[in-house]
Formats: sequence, structure tokens, C-alpha cells
Amino acid sequence: MKECKIVSRKFEIPNSHTLEVSKAHGGYRTLVKMDEYSPLEIIEIIKESKLRGKGGGGAPAAGKWALMPQESDKPSFLAVNCDESEPGTFKDRQIISKDPHLLIEGILLTCYAIKAKHAYIYIRGEYKQFQDILQSAIDEAYEDGLLDHCDITIHRGAGAYICGEKSALLESMEGKRGHPRLKPKQKEPEWFFDNPTLVNNVETIASVPFIVENGADVYKSYGTEHSPGTLLFAMSGHINNPGVYEAEFGTPMMEYINHFGGGIKNNKKLKAVIPGGASTDVLTAKEAECATLDYETLRSMKSALGTGGMIVMDEDTCMVTALKNLLEFYHEESCGQCTPCREGTGWTDKLVGKILDKKGTKEDIEKLLEIADTMNGKTICVFAPAVATVIKSFVSKFRDEFEVAL
Amino acid sequence: MSKEIEIIVDAKTYHAQEGSLLIDLLIKEKIKVPYFCYHESLGTDGNCRMCMVEIEGQKRPQIACDTFIKPDMEVRSTGENIEKIRTDILELELINHPVDCPTCDQAGECSLQEFYMDYGLHDSKVTITDKVKHSKHVDLGSNVILDQERCVLCARCTRFTDKITHTHELGIIGRGDEARVSTMPGRKLDNPYAMNVVDLCPVGALTSKDFRFAQRVWFLQTVNSVCHGCAKGCNIFIDHNKIKYQDDVIYRFRPRRNDDVNGFFICDEGRLSYKELQENRQGVSLLNSKEITEEEAIQEAKALIKKYKNNISVVIDANLYSEEIEAILAFAKEINASVHSPLDIYIDETFKDNMLKSANRAANYKTIETLSIDTNEPESGGLLINFNHPQEFKSDSKIDFLTHKRDGADLVFPVAAFSENSGTLSNEDGIIQICEKAISKNIPIPTIIETLSKVLV
Amino acid sequence: MSFVFSEKNLLKIEALKKRYPSPKALCLPCLWMAQHQEGFISIDAIDAISEKIGIPAMEIYRVVTFYTMFHLEPQDKLNVQVCKTLSCKLCGSDEILKHLEDKDVKITHVECLGSCGTAPVMQIDDIYYEDLSPEKVDEILKALQ
Repeated sequence: MKECKIVSRKFEIPNSHTLEVSKAHGGYRTLVKMDEYSPLEIIEIIKESKLRGKGGGGAPAAGKWALMPQESDKPSFLAVNCDESEPGTFKDRQIISKDPHLLIEGILLTCYAIKAKHAYIYIRGEYKQFQDILQSAIDEAYEDGLLDHCDITIHRGAGAYICGEKSALLESMEGKRGHPRLKPKQKEPEWFFDNPTLVNNVETIASVPFIVENGADVYKSYGTEHSPGTLLFAMSGHINNPGVYEAEFGTPMMEYINHFGGGIKNNKKLKAVIPGGASTDVLTAKEAECATLDYETLRSMKSALGTGGMIVMDEDTCMVTALKNLLEFYHEESCGQCTPCREGTGWTDKLVGKILDKKGTKEDIEKLLEIADTMNGKTICVFAPAVATVIKSFVSKFRDEFEVAL
Repeated sequence: MSKEIEIIVDAKTYHAQEGSLLIDLLIKEKIKVPYFCYHESLGTDGNCRMCMVEIEGQKRPQIACDTFIKPDMEVRSTGENIEKIRTDILELELINHPVDCPTCDQAGECSLQEFYMDYGLHDSKVTITDKVKHSKHVDLGSNVILDQERCVLCARCTRFTDKITHTHELGIIGRGDEARVSTMPGRKLDNPYAMNVVDLCPVGALTSKDFRFAQRVWFLQTVNSVCHGCAKGCNIFIDHNKIKYQDDVIYRFRPRRNDDVNGFFICDEGRLSYKELQENRQGVSLLNSKEITEEEAIQEAKALIKKYKNNISVVIDANLYSEEIEAILAFAKEINASVHSPLDIYIDETFKDNMLKSANRAANYKTIETLSIDTNEPESGGLLINFNHPQEFKSDSKIDFLTHKRDGADLVFPVAAFSENSGTLSNEDGIIQICEKAISKNIPIPTIIETLSKVLV
Repeated sequence: MSFVFSEKNLLKIEALKKRYPSPKALCLPCLWMAQHQEGFISIDAIDAISEKIGIPAMEIYRVVTFYTMFHLEPQDKLNVQVCKTLSCKLCGSDEILKHLEDKDVKITHVECLGSCGTAPVMQIDDIYYEDLSPEKVDEILKALQ
């Protein structure tokens, strides 16, 4: 397995979160590139590298950057999405606590490219102890004069998964409830108090220094043709060594699980893997054996890479219980704005509960799939389609377990 | 400047402004599309997802309230696919909705019922037994009662208090299916237009305390009229009904849309002003406070007019219909009386606001001005014939034509209120508006015109 | 009883106002400051924040009820938030919850805390306690109470 240290290079170094250690190991040396390249040239490098957003969507980052105006009478902003709440995902927390200066470096380069003078880091409310580490890194950077031309402000969330959705994040920062916005008909930047704003995941921004320093081709030497580079994949659940381990895209899933994860706990057999955080289609053990960790392969398998947070389930796991657990999560986190999601998350949660209580009928299973259809593609944001994905994949791939529970 | 273009809806061609909302066109052309959260006064919210239509070239159906008219657009509002979506979303809307119809005031004018009849009519496939529970019959203040369980969370009421009255009393609190409409703890809904949320609410979540359990709406008869509370002349519907063995009564006023006058709303004071049309009414003729017949009263009036010949003043209430005012002018000319309509008494600067309420409380003062009627007070002495004017004037003898009981006159004639008669008014902007007759009492009270014609004979 | 921000918080608010294009963005920061100062968010605090940043009190109240981490009432017991989402459940969060049942604490079931690699996990105030076992839970509670 190729060693990948694009983002996690300094993680194991003691006190890696301090400015001194960061600089001693090459931190901020890419800032000179801002003298070499113009903002548009930086965007071009990112475009060439085919860097894809690491928040779960996987959309080309440069596409979003190019929507930001190079000339505008309104100020531009960068909003770094550190709302990390997708079950199975805990990678951004590693960056902000172990190498926050890498993130700051990435922010400086990004703001230069999109002509922004202020970056906000929206961090989930529960991550206070990691926020403190990040804040002291920012304070160090201010003292060192690194932030003379670009301000960074941490904005603390307060416990809402939906605020990880980019438009809900901006609504939350504007002092309102985190309700996702209606999507515009044409491509345009996001808006923060009517000012053009770029929203990117922490890891996406943290990947920028490596790409700018080494060039697009070096970045593309990792990973696959359509999914270049690396990701901080994560493993949790019934695994011997759960944790976050950087690997290049295209790594076979089982190789990753065995190499970094040390295999299934207690020598049990693998039953299922959710590949990219809860909102992706579950894979059976057989499917996991054919899967490689990149966007295209998983999409062709009717699943998705998502955030790359794998949840590993062994042979003793009851899939009905697992589905109930996830539906409770969605039921709790729905913002409640639009009808199909608000009512559908509650209804499906109760239906699976009924099946678990041994009171379910065959019609209930059919109804579950029907509700999943209604929630798909008819809502304001992609939260409801994610729920539909989860329901459909669990019920179709483990149908027998649901029928036995009736 | 956006130009007018042609688009196709359901295989028919329509004209619309480029860039305008598709749902506005559908509403205007009466193409039936269900919706809860959209309202022309409040704009788009896009949360109910009911107004979905199919657009040619788009993979997924789109909500009409967030679709802008573009050239060559082809829209389908009917069809199996779209109707299934509506049925499915409606089912989700109904899943936690309490089956309150037998006791809910909204029955008969409820959007949920209407859409269910159009797109539902299916057997419930809900097998879970517990619906989400919230508070019922919460008194929000200002005569509005909230039932959180019936709410479909369309957010019309909260958007009303945010964008229209800017008083911010209502909001949706909580998250997911625990979300519900509420005020802040201990605080009430308290603004002069609060009861409009009852009309805005598409279901029975917000109902009028004043109208609570009063009458089933399908028994109500409706006429078009104009509120007489001030010179704005907000357009209203008068809902009335005559129950067997009882009299025809008004149950409520509702706002009637008029984009040139009041838009979609009326103030609460105007809305509740129907009550005074049915309280403390002068029902019979009186002479020196003793009840007499109409015949006797007419004879007495003729006698008084003869006695005080050439020394008669006539005072006109600026709330009367234009036809009534003109009839009184003609009457005054016949009997050689001076005509007055002092208007100062109607001015109330504290009533005025920057929405609908006017400082002038007289519904038809504009007609007084247009007809150049003298606004000075009448000379004291002689006979004063007062046609419902609220002020007290000094005179030797007085005849009052009254809608409501009042002391001080020698001779009193009862007069029909505006709801018992038809006529026109001119509002403060000079707009002439027609009021239809609503009430036909079992024992009708004569109108001014009817009585005057008998006196003059 | 009226709520007044501490001097320190007032200074923080003024400094923060310069960092945003509109004072309305200070909604969440002010709510955190108020909760830290008083232990919970009172209606008086909401009114005070409304005055400072120009958002109607009702809008702030809506925001408070939207997020899980704000409390509208004083917390009298230690608030132990145990993650119950899938990875923690697969690694034994049920056992931890059962163990906490008879303790004198307020137990809240929360959704994914972002600590799936060190499951099961609980959060008390702002600190994560990871890799839990019933014994570890006892140690932690003892140290805190």
C-alpha cells in the first residue's frame, strides 16, 4: 500500500498543533506561491489536480471556486465546513487538533485565489475541546503576522447535523435556524448576508497547500484517474484498530480494512460495511470484497464514497436494529422544514420500530420502500434522499432479516 | 422591463411575464394546483412541496412556487406521475394530523379536506398507532386559538407576523416532527391585524375564538361588502345565516381581496365591527321615549316639519351610503332645511397606522366633501333632523333617525344598518365601492330612503 | 430579574461585531456567552441579545429551540451525554447506558459525536470521554462529583 501523507504528514509529531513545530516541518512554506501565481492561476492548478470536495459530495472543488467573482463591489468570504456530524466520520477533527496550521495555510491560499479577506470556520458545538486547539493556533498565526491580510473567525455551532449542509450552514451563521435554502436555478456562489461565499470542507482546504506546492501532476499520481489524490478514510464499528488513516483513492476496501484496521474484531466474519458515513448505501460482505475506495467504483455499485467513514458490521449484527438506529438519527436531525422529510423520517422510524417489536407486517415493509420513494427527489435538500438511500439499501439487501422479524 | 411571452400549460397556450412565478400564472388562470405554504402576499417558502408540476426537459418535478417563467416552457400539472406525488405527499401531511373534522371550525373551508377530496380519497395505509402529540386549543390572545396538532407547518402565520406586521410574535420552534408554531413563553399574539392569521391558515390550526363553534361554514351565506370602520373602506365578505325560528344574523366578517384598497387583509377592529351591527339597535319608533307605530311617527314628523317651517337643520352621518345622502339632500331641499355634516368628530389620529387604518373613522366622508355639504355645525334653535350623526347638537326640537339606541330626541325613527341595505361608498382615495345587502331580518327595519319617501308624501 | 452581559462578554461582543458583515451573525456566539454566564438561556437573556444584535426576540427563541446544545432551563444535575449512533452502538453504548441508569446524573442520548474510532463515547460539559467501559465511567463520575 502506497504511503500517503498529503494531509496527515505531521499528525504523529509531538506538539504538531503549535506554530513552532509546524514551521519546523515545512508549515506555511507554500505561502511564497502567492507571489508566483495569480489567483486565477491557483484556481487553474486546483482545477488541473481534479481535487474533489471531501465533505461527502465529491464535487470538483475548482468548479465551486470558479463561481466566486474575481471582481465585485461586495466582499467575498470563505466558510470552512467543520460541522462533521455524519455518523462514522471523524476525520476533520484530526486535522484541526493535530495540524491546525495546515488548515490555516490552506485557508490563506484559498482566500487568495477567491479574493476573500475573511474566512469563517463553522465548527460543530460538541467539538469545543478541539476548537480550543484550533483557536490557539489561530492566535499564534495572528501574532506571527500571518493573518495580516486575511482574517479567520471560528463560529461555533450548537448541535444540528443539518448545519453541515452548505446553505443551512450559512443560514445558521446568519443567526437563523439551520434551514437549507431553496436551490437556485443557475450556477452561482453561496451567499452570506448577500455576499458571495465559498463553502468547502476542512480536508478539502487542508489539501490545497500540497497541491499548490507540488503541482497537479504529483497530486494526480495518487489515486485513480477520476478520483485523484487521497482521503482521510476512517473505520469504526467491529474492527480491531478503528481510526482515521490516510490512503489514496482506489485502494481496495478489504485491503484497507485488513491493513489499517487489523481485520474484524474477535475473528468474526464480515457481514456488511457502510462505505462512506451513514448516508451511503450499505454493502454486503461480498460487495465489499469487490469494492475499491473511489467515487466511480462505488457509484457503479449503486453506492457512494461519501465521507469515506466506513462502519464495519460483523456477522452477529442485526440489520433491522442497525437500520432502526440510523433512522432514529435521521428522525432526530431532520430540520422539519419540508413535509416529506419531516413526516417521513418520523414515520419510517416508527415503522421499523414496529417491525423490531415483532408487530410488523409484509405491507409495512412495502410501505417503508414507498415512503423512501416519496422522500427521494422532492425535498429542499439532500437529507431526505439520504434517508431514502439508507432504507432502500438495508431493506433490499437484507430483506430476509426484515421478514424474519415480522 | 420583462416582456410578455407565451408558455404552454397542459397543452394550452398562456401569456405571462418572463421571470414571473409559475404559480402566479396557475392561480390567475385557475389551473388547479394544490399548495399550502405559498401566498401572494407572503411570497414563496417552498416547504409544503404540494405544488409540484412537471416541466418538459427537467428530470424531476419542480415546485411551481419556485419556478420562473421562461420562453418555450412546457408545463404539465396533471398526469399519473404528478398526481401520485401529490397523493403521497398529502399522505405524509395527514399522518400526524388529528382527525378533528367533526369538531374543527375549519371544516368546509379546509385545504387539507379539499386536497384530500381531489387527490386522496384512498384508504389510510398508516399502521403505526401513535401520532405526534402537541398542544391543542392554546389561547394565543387577540381572539386567535392555536391547535398545534392540526398545523401543517406551512409557516404562513409566522411569515405574516414577520413580514407584514413586523411584530414577530409567532415562530416555529423545535425541530423535525417536534416542530410546532408557538409564541415566546408568556407572550401573546398582540397586534392590530392578528386575526388575519386565521384566514391565512389553510387548516384548522389557527381559528377565531370569536367564531369558535358558532356555525358550520357550509350553512353561511356570503355577500360582498365594505367595512364601515374607517375611511379606508377595506373590502369584506359578510357571512350570515338565518337558523330556523331565529333571525338572520351576521356570524363574521372576512377580508376580501382588493389590490387597490386593502390587499388581502383587514384590521381586527374592523373584522369584529359586525358585532355592533347586532347590539343595542333602535328597533322601534319613539315619541318622548314612548313606543309608537311607524304611522304615528310619520304623522308626528310631518307635524313638526310644518311647525318649524323655515327653521329646520338637517345633519348627516358621514357613514351613510351615497344614495342615502343624496336622498337626504333631496328631502332637505323639499322642506327648505339647511344641511350639515360636521366631520371633525370622526378624526382619530391615534387610530391611524401605516398599514390600513385611516385617521378618519367615517366610511363615506369623501362623498360629503364631493357633494360640498357644509361641514360647519348647524345653528342652534328650531328643528334638528339628525340622520345618525354621532354628535349632540342644541335645538328646540329634535328628530333622530338612528341605527343604535340614543336618548335626547323628541321623535325617533329606527333605521336599517348598512348590512341590512345595499349602497355605495367612496373611500378616502375616492374609490367608489358597492356594498350588497346581507341581512333580511324577520321584521325588517325600514331604510332611510323608505322612511323619507313616506314622510314627504 | 433582568439579564446583563458581563463586562468581559460585552467586550467580546463589540470585538466580534467587527468580524461579521452584520451584527445578526452574533446570534450563536451571544447565546453561547449567555449560557456560559448563567448556566442556561433565560428569556431575559434572549431579550438582552435581541437588543444587542437587532434580531427579534422570537427569532432568537426559535434558534434556541432548534439546536440541541442550548438549555432553556437551569441544569441541576451533571449532564452526561452518551452517543447512541451506530458505531457506538456496535461497540457497546447500550452497556454504558445501562450502567449509568442508577447513577445520580441526567442522561441524554445524543447522536454521533464524531468520535466513532474511540467508541463508546460520552460527553460531559465540553469534554469527550472516549474508549469507555463501565469501570472507566465510574472513575470519571467520581472525579467530577
